Amino acid sequence: MNSNLSDPAFWSRFQFGFTLTYHYLFPQLTMGLAWFLVYWKWRALRTGDEKYNHAVRFWAKIFGLNFAVGVVTGIPMEFQFGTNWAGFTRYAGGVIGQTLAMEGMFAFFLESAFIGALIWGEKRLGPRYHFLAAVGVALGSWLSGYFILVTNAFMQHPVGYKVGADGLLGISSLSAYLLNPWAWVEFAHNQMAALVTGSFVVAAVGAFYSLREQHPKQSQLYLRAGVSAGLIASLLVAFPTGDQQAKMVGRHQPVTLAAMEGRFQGGSMAGVAIIGQPNVAAQRLDNPIEVPGALSFLAYGTFQSYVHGLDEYPANAWPDNIELLYYSFHLMITLGTIFILLMAFATFQNWRGRLQSSTWLLWVLMLAFPFPYIANTVGWMTAELGRQPWLAYGLFHTRDGYSKVVSNGNTIFTLIGFIGLYFVLGLLFLFLVGREIAHGPDEEAAVEGRARVVTARGKEQVA
Amino acid sequence: MIAAWYAIVSLMLITYVVLDGRNFGAGLLFAVIAKTREERRQVIAAIGPLWSWHEVWLVAFGGVLVAVFPKLMASAFAGYYLALFLILWCLILRGISIEVGGHINDRLWQGFWDFVFVSANLLLAVLFGAAAGNLARGVPLDANGDFSMPFFTDFTPRGHVGLLDWYTVSVAIFAVVILTAHGATYLTLKTEGPVHDRCAIYARYLWALVAPVLLIITVESLEVRPELFGQAISNPICWLGLLVIIGSATALVSGLWTGRELRAFLASNFLLAGLLITGSAAIFPVMLYSTLSPQDSLTANSVAAPHNSLFLASIWWPIGFALATLYFVFISRRYAGKVSVNRDNQSVY
Repeated sequence: MNSNLSDPAFWSRFQFGFTLTYHYLFPQLTMGLAWFLVYWKWRALRTGDEKYNHAVRFWAKIFGLNFAVGVVTGIPMEFQFGTNWAGFTRYAGGVIGQTLAMEGMFAFFLESAFIGALIWGEKRLGPRYHFLAAVGVALGSWLSGYFILVTNAFMQHPVGYKVGADGLLGISSLSAYLLNPWAWVEFAHNQMAALVTGSFVVAAVGAFYSLREQHPKQSQLYLRAGVSAGLIASLLVAFPTGDQQAKMVGRHQPVTLAAMEGRFQGGSMAGVAIIGQPNVAAQRLDNPIEVPGALSFLAYGTFQSYVHGLDEYPANAWPDNIELLYYSFHLMITLGTIFILLMAFATFQNWRGRLQSSTWLLWVLMLAFPFPYIANTVGWMTAELGRQPWLAYGLFHTRDGYSKVVSNGNTIFTLIGFIGLYFVLGLLFLFLVGREIAHGPDEEAAVEGRARVVTARGKEQVA
Repeated sequence: MIAAWYAIVSLMLITYVVLDGRNFGAGLLFAVIAKTREERRQVIAAIGPLWSWHEVWLVAFGGVLVAVFPKLMASAFAGYYLALFLILWCLILRGISIEVGGHINDRLWQGFWDFVFVSANLLLAVLFGAAAGNLARGVPLDANGDFSMPFFTDFTPRGHVGLLDWYTVSVAIFAVVILTAHGATYLTLKTEGPVHDRCAIYARYLWALVAPVLLIITVESLEVRPELFGQAISNPICWLGLLVIIGSATALVSGLWTGRELRAFLASNFLLAGLLITGSAAIFPVMLYSTLSPQDSLTANSVAAPHNSLFLASIWWPIGFALATLYFVFISRRYAGKVSVNRDNQSVY
């Protein structure tokens, strides 16, 4: 990132990065949790066991709060293409506009139509339609993710476009654009990561109730579902999806791969650093401890494979914040590995029937839920910092993309506004979700019972 | 093809204004029509469950705008920078206030979110009104198709204009009045009890107020952009719009007079849409008029995406629209019926 604080591109990047990072804290849980709701709703339909309906009702409330914050923080993302990245919108709107519009037309209408039905419509819809509402919301949220990832994949690996006479992009093949191989790999990787977040959150709430000796049936349900889904998702996020993603970067963005690993010199038997700090000025990794050959193997399939180094590229083609990129990538890898180990052990204990009695493991599960959020965030930082200095890889520089007419004064003003507003929004969200968790799932009184209480109270106050 | 896309994009924005306009209106009337906490919950429940569906029309409009008129999006969104962020923040606060206000049954909590709800809706009505005024008046576009505007300059609608001047402020006031009337008409249909009775009275007074204010801004528009009227007269869509306005105004008056609430509400929707359709047809093919030199204005042709992008979008857009309509039929059947104070029949709001 450019350290020159009078550079307008810096402030627009800062604002976009901040608002996007914050926004994505919410959809990742929406996309992960949605399938838990579908699964429990389906189990309730099949078995008639009321505990699944209790679980759906409880999680739908948290889902609803999370969804609402996701919606309101999502609208600024689309608007900022115009407000802060007018240069890029003018250049590439003829291509990326397709998926931005499709997301609204195909995904958001679907999602927003059924979210209300999912959260409040159980009585009116009946169990079958309520199940369909859950499926509608889950599909809508994943479809929305796909369209956005196609847009991002175009920025990472542009396909399906043509350059017009005026130098601006238009679309040449919609199918090539929508089926960008980068988009498929990125989508699979990203959705599995969202499932990891969902699983960890579900397991954490289960562990919380278990440790407090509350809601025993529900906590067992959450723990089992969270831990099993968590293991599967953690494995899939690493292999094959993460692995394929790294190979994709190695093939199409070799300089990015070099920067991610802090490889200043090219060579075979390239290692993955366990410890080491990139020293860009001296062009070396300080005090490195590496697994030899690991990078060669992961990126190109054999230990002997040649991995390019940064020294093979001019410095102006390097990602402009190698240090942050390096740490983002390594943090993601480290956390991903820990997730697999933790969830594998928890699944093993669950299989032995010892999960509920293993206090220290419950503590770890309860406290672990923030880490998938961090892993998702640094994963995206790896993707987006690694793309630099390009906005559309190989086609269009980031420094050409920002809105020339917007002064730094205006961008800094709106950035301050977002920081303040999002801070308050975050406090509010945590407070309300904390309240729902403290209240817990209603196991005795079903929705009808609750509705009666509300009605009675209303009448009393009117009278 | 470009004219058709202009129509689609305009209609998407108009749909948003008509749908969400009633929420702005309900928000503006909040303090006077809902006197007790239960009544305030009732008003929120009448608009609550669908707010995010309404907002999707705005989001979908933005997405389609990038797809078919990317250069307009680039120029206008960067130029309206401050106004757009104020709109975004108000939309955030408005959505949150609807969503969380009902979560805790507490006087302070609900009082606070009710206040946020009213303020955000008021600002949204003013900002959207001013934005409409800006579209009619024009913006200081340069030869590159760029502009940037402060909130205000010298309050005159010529040359280096700001977001606000006497003309755009008038349009903002008009927007507040007509959206409030629209909201009152909606709530009359959607509620029962004391809220219903108050709304019915307010709806009549407010619609009576709309007529003179509309006359004033028409005269003002004649002063600011005299050539628009020549364009409107030669455009059949404007005549169609005028027909819609006259027809719906008649239906509105009769609906309000005889207490036929559904007729009044439908007429209110069509009247609002008719006004906006007439306006957007009158400025076509210019999408953004330059107050500095008219030849720098951005027309639909000059800002459109390449032909292939438009062509592809015209294949999938109708499918998306048909699906959206399907969902709409589904959810509006679900939320049919009146919302009462003591029967919390729709939601936790």
